[in-house]
Amino acid sequence: MTVANPRIVTVRQNILKANDHTAAENRATFTAAGVRAINLASSPGAGKTALLERTLRDLAGQMSMAVAVGDLATENDAARLRQHGAQAEQIVTGTICHLDAAMVQAVLPRFDLAGLEVLFLENVGNLVCPSSYDLGEAARAVLISTTEGEDKPLKYPTMFNTADVVVITKMDLADAVGFDRDLCRENIDRARPGVPVIELSSRSGAGLDAWFAFVRGEPT
Amino acid sequence: MRALYCAGRGAADMHEASIALSLIDVASEVLREHGAARASALTVRVGQWSSVVPEALTAAFPACAAGTGLEGARLSVVTVPGVGECPVHGRVTLDVTRGLRCPECGAPTPTLLAGDELELDELELVEPDLEDV
Ligand SMILES: [Zn+2]
Repeated sequence: MTVANPRIVTVRQNILKANDHTAAENRATFTAAGVRAINLASSPGAGKTALLERTLRDLAGQMSMAVAVGDLATENDAARLRQHGAQAEQIVTGTICHLDAAMVQAVLPRFDLAGLEVLFLENVGNLVCPSSYDLGEAARAVLISTTEGEDKPLKYPTMFNTADVVVITKMDLADAVGFDRDLCRENIDRARPGVPVIELSSRSGAGLDAWFAFVRGEPT
Repeated sequence: MRALYCAGRGAADMHEASIALSLIDVASEVLREHGAARASALTVRVGQWSSVVPEALTAAFPACAAGTGLEGARLSVVTVPGVGECPVHGRVTLDVTRGLRCPECGAPTPTLLAGDELELDELELVEPDLEDV
């Protein structure tokens, strides 16, 4: 018996290239249909669904919008969103902690993309995993609430560094929880120098105009 | 959709288990291209801004590799530090806890020149040995 000879080959390939390939297909689909896809990421409880509910309600009649919402198991979020008259489809991710491009691609046939202007891709609540997965979105919004502390941008640098806009939610609670606005904005700017920041409250409605401008694709 | 449990790993490791499965897909493709049945070792490059924890990836890998050509392969993870470009100091190595700021002068370094990679770098193939077959 002879000993097998190892041979070292240099590969230098992106581990997520299959996802990136599917994301490029999704992006082409969205572009062809004239849909602006917006990927929303945040920690659990940062207020993604509340912001989407408010957006669907306030912009109803002005824009045609729909939501694909990723969740580990339940269908609560999709049911909440449907109450506002927009189509909402759940992507049940099971044990998977993020949406990936293939999951989004699989749900797209359920939408009439040609009749849509904006498709929200509400990611699983998690600031780690979703950062690695391009879904084919036109823009990525990362939400952080005033109740979760100012250091999140430095603890999750990848998520914030891939954001096209950072939204600070629950501003109506800022004073009550002692939120340090300047420190939070400083940390966001360290993670992603120059990124636009929108401060808002889905409850009071303060700051929503800037968010709606982003949703429409206007400069922020 | 495929199961991501990789033989009973907990939810905390799910991200790295997902990454490990994608890594095994890419590596298996290379094995096929080279006509090799299995690999004895592989090296991956993980940037500090890639959101992947090297220890978690190393921990998730063996269970995910079971039953593939990567089973039993030795996984080495090379951590790649962030590199930015300071207008004053040129290329600088970044400190992940301080964000995209020049460590010398604090100037913003908005573009990562390195440190966001997540790539299969090298694969050590075990050539099919005819006398063993
Ligand atoms: Zn400098």
